[in-house]
Amino acid sequence: MIINGVLIDDTYAEAFGMKATRIVITADSMTWAKHAANAAFGFATSVIACGCEAGIERELSSEETPDGRPGVAGLLFAVSTKELAKQLERRVGQCVLTCPTTAVFAGCDGEESLPLGKNLRYFGDGWQMSKVIAGRRYWRIPVMDGEFLAEESTGLLRSVGGGNFLVLARSRGKALAACEAAVAAIARVPGAIAPFPGGVARSGSKIGSKYKALPASTNEAFCPTLRGVAKSELGPEVEAVLEIVIDAVTDASMRVAMKAGLDAVCAIGAAGGIVRLSAGNYGGRLGQFHYRLREILA
Amino acid sequence: MITLTLRTAPDGRVDMTGVLPETLAGRAASDITAQFLRVDGNPVALGDLFEVAPGEGDVLVIRTDCDRLDCLGKGMTAGTLRVEGLAGHYVGQDLRGGKLEIQGDAGDYVANGMKGGLLRIHGNAGDWLGAALVGDRTGMAGGVVAVDGDAGDRLGDRMRRGLILVRGKAGDACGARLLAGTIVVAGGCGGLSGFGLRRGSLILGRMPESIPATFNDAGVVELSYLGLLHRHAESILPGVFPPVSSARRYMGDLAFGGKGEILVLV
Repeated sequence: MIINGVLIDDTYAEAFGMKATRIVITADSMTWAKHAANAAFGFATSVIACGCEAGIERELSSEETPDGRPGVAGLLFAVSTKELAKQLERRVGQCVLTCPTTAVFAGCDGEESLPLGKNLRYFGDGWQMSKVIAGRRYWRIPVMDGEFLAEESTGLLRSVGGGNFLVLARSRGKALAACEAAVAAIARVPGAIAPFPGGVARSGSKIGSKYKALPASTNEAFCPTLRGVAKSELGPEVEAVLEIVIDAVTDASMRVAMKAGLDAVCAIGAAGGIVRLSAGNYGGRLGQFHYRLREILA
Repeated sequence: MITLTLRTAPDGRVDMTGVLPETLAGRAASDITAQFLRVDGNPVALGDLFEVAPGEGDVLVIRTDCDRLDCLGKGMTAGTLRVEGLAGHYVGQDLRGGKLEIQGDAGDYVANGMKGGLLRIHGNAGDWLGAALVGDRTGMAGGVVAVDGDAGDRLGDRMRRGLILVRGKAGDACGARLLAGTIVVAGGCGGLSGFGLRRGSLILGRMPESIPATFNDAGVVELSYLGLLHRHAESILPGVFPPVSSARRYMGDLAFGGKGEILVLV
């Protein structure tokens, strides 16, 4: 399959079932809501060493938030409920509770719930107050600028993580420009995030390493500098490869996000220096979800 | 919709226990008219007091122009009960769910033992709204009461949980001995407000006549919780809770633990 001069590899992205949640962070201004969100969802690019993958899903107007202030919705993904609960509590406790004027709310309901303010309330040292409004419990925790308001719990979502595609281009700049367009398109898809910095990863990895301590290492087949010394997937015209990794709350939203990103790259096409689109997988043995590029773009 | 229209004002007080949308739904008119009510403790057929227009659905309308119908909506769990007129005492007693709407005034002891649902009063409410009955440890324990008019004395006395919204003003000892929950009175209240308050929030649109000496002034504070409550209150009783972010906070009652608050919106 060739679209706008871009060869679409006959391959698929292999993704995994993950546990996820959505939270809403509000503040007196969008600036401060984003300060808190950027801190809470920072260092959350990969579950390999960050514990979770997270990012801002979208900005919310004051009409869309529970307390009538501007805010952001963010998604967090982890490999287990226990790890997700741990990461959520740490990140909200250290990055949202500490941030001036903020409040935090559940952004989703689920059959199971995760503690949000349930344990953070003890920071109030006995001065915290509980409020039940419309059947939902909130905690008012006294802090130096007034109160930190936190909903007691948020919902647990069974989601999909690790959707991806690789952009192979004639130069690093052209690969990056195409990825920026793809990330902008994915950002408009509800329920999906691209957790890497700016939504783009350059360090595509394979499972395992020659070093026993490492669970993952560089994917030499896509490293242009190793052509000729390692088995390579790259033709001579490819100078750089960048990867976009996507986490989504449902299989359907993953497909929509993948298509949005792939379409954006294809729209730039060969004229923009894009050579191929490919995807990362592990032979289909590890992930429950397979996203065939040609099916998505058909 | 089932409609009961009061024929004439009864001589005594009528106990309306058991006259609920969930108990009358699907029953024939003859069956409904044969149901016994108690007037001053004596059994009287419902049909002797009311004209009955049976119907389908979970809406019951009671048309009355006297205030002697007590225990309206007692123990209701679902459906809608609309009272077109005045209501007596003990309205919404032990209410668990559904919507109970009083288009006129209600008497004393509204919503005692209430645990869920929505009780909407378009007129005024009497004394002891949401309060504990004599001998009960706690008053209202859940749900929402919204009053368009004024409320009497002892509003929310020993209330345990839930939300009371009053657009007008309340009488003396508003929120006295409050255990938890939230009371909002837009028009302010009389003296002894929050006396014996243990936890919970008494939120006033204006300064009360007096605040007990056992409350300490914490000053004006910004609380994002107010925005949350404003949103919720607007969906029930629009205009009762202004979109403010600040309130003067009085912590107390210090003679009873001091974990509660009176918030006067600014």
